[in-house]
Amino acid sequence: MRRQLALLDYAVGALGRRAGKSAALGAGLAFVVALFGAALLLTDAIRAEHERLVEEMPDLTVQRLVAGRPALIAESFADELRGLPAVRAVEPRVWGYYFFAALEANVTIVGTERADPALDAALAHGRLPREGAEVAIGEDLADHLGLRVGDAMGIPLDGDIVFSPVVGTFGGGSAIRSADLVVARPAHARRLLDVEEGWATDLAVDLTTEDEARVITRRITERLPGARVLERRLLRRTYELTFDARGGLLAFLLVPALAAFLLLAWERLSGLGDAERREIGILKAIGWATADVLAARVYESLVLSLTGAAVGIALAYAYVFWLGAPGLWGALLGWSNLRPALDLAPALDPLQALSLLGAVVVPFVAVGVVPAWRAATLDPDRAMRGAE
Amino acid sequence: MSAIVAAGLVKRYADGARRVEAVAGVDLEIAAGTLVVLEGPSGSGKTTLLGLLGAMIAPTAGSVAILGEDVTHLRDHHRAALRRAHVGFVFQDLSLIGAMRVLENVLLPLVPRGGARPDERARAIALLERFGLGGERDARASRLSGGQRQRAAIARALVTAPEILLLDEPTAHLDGANAGGLVDALCALRDEGTTIVAATHDARLARDARVDRALTMRDGALVP
Repeated sequence: MRRQLALLDYAVGALGRRAGKSAALGAGLAFVVALFGAALLLTDAIRAEHERLVEEMPDLTVQRLVAGRPALIAESFADELRGLPAVRAVEPRVWGYYFFAALEANVTIVGTERADPALDAALAHGRLPREGAEVAIGEDLADHLGLRVGDAMGIPLDGDIVFSPVVGTFGGGSAIRSADLVVARPAHARRLLDVEEGWATDLAVDLTTEDEARVITRRITERLPGARVLERRLLRRTYELTFDARGGLLAFLLVPALAAFLLLAWERLSGLGDAERREIGILKAIGWATADVLAARVYESLVLSLTGAAVGIALAYAYVFWLGAPGLWGALLGWSNLRPALDLAPALDPLQALSLLGAVVVPFVAVGVVPAWRAATLDPDRAMRGAE
Repeated sequence: MSAIVAAGLVKRYADGARRVEAVAGVDLEIAAGTLVVLEGPSGSGKTTLLGLLGAMIAPTAGSVAILGEDVTHLRDHHRAALRRAHVGFVFQDLSLIGAMRVLENVLLPLVPRGGARPDERARAIALLERFGLGGERDARASRLSGGQRQRAAIARALVTAPEILLLDEPTAHLDGANAGGLVDALCALRDEGTTIVAATHDARLARDARVDRALTMRDGALVP
């Protein structure tokens, strides 16, 4: 260990002695890692966002379509579904979009009867609505409207203003939930969304096992022709495919940048300068073994590449989560203008981060070590004299 | 006891299509604790022979034994370990790393051992003081004069307390007075038990009365 620390210390000193070259290579590496890292962080954050929501969805969501458009569904149909085997619970849900003129944007209104643990956990302040016109709203929406818990939210309705006491705000790490959500009691949601008693936006079906989803879906469509049944596991897969494909495409487009950098690094490192070759010769002559020279060189490349990669990942993090990934955002999510803005909660798959590090660090170390190995395996005097 | 024994030593280099025989069959035995000077003109093979005697260069033919150990066919890491433990080199072009400080240069041979222990560091500082460089230990090696670099290189060669010290053209960068001082220092080391082989084309050094043995080399061979 002491020997390795001494070699590491020498390697760090060597980087300092070649500060200009080290800085140029480190900066190039940081830039390439930042490009890949940004694509990776953005994809992971969006995927994590959707995964969180998908996990909280019911196993099946039943909608009624009329002329190809979603229409209200009779709550009485829920009783029919409760009789099916493998169906554990059916809940009629009232939700919908409400155009908020003050924001020039839609907000999502959800009516909820029961105490939803996921919603409860997502509360940043206050509580869920219990009565009347109480609402709990997303933090971003609250910020945009200048509201806090205890204030009343004025909602224009049929030429009048409905005042809804804000009893809670959502944060809780989910950007989608903290952005535009308004949770209300079912009766209040029906009033805001103009949904009559006995009708629901859709039916949430929980199964005893998700494996039965395909069978139950078929039975539902037999009983309610024209029904659209959304299976959670298919949605999950769709999201995965969508963002894996987009993230993969983005990463693929960046491969030439990585290749160009490695070529540049090869160009810089493979032609060991006379001074470096001479230094290796000196080290050999004063008793360093080839393995010592190579270990020092590996440490040198590792320190440089890990530092560059760490800076690159930090830059990518700042670019995605602080600056909002201008440029990349549209490539992954489309160019629609959403308000309130969707600020992503930081998320990174450690395995993918390690893969990124491996894809950059391993070739970088290799291109640094190979020419050093060629010089270090020469007799010391030949290395010092500049023999290839 | 012999510090170095060479038998039938040959070293050939490929120079394009041409093969150059830098050392052409040298038999040599160097007694421990002696100061030996190897004299000869440039290109006579002195430096190559020095490298062979110090296990820095692998011979094409023949054998070399250092302190009784045949090093001819040792693998790279064994040769390196042997050099580190028993042999100190001072090169013709001094071979300090200019961007490093003088003390760092002197401590460099100790890095593969795990760096300098406190007593080794103290020894390095003492060596620099002995060679008149105590005040320069934190200076960049590139800022030293030729004579100072020569002395720093000797201090580096001695930091591992080797039994054998090999020097290539040790007076090349020195004026007459400094060259005399260097011979004094080498004699003192010899008197402490170090075996010293110095290759030079400086006839003054070869003829110095304090030298135990002077050898002459021509065209890769020792002149009888």
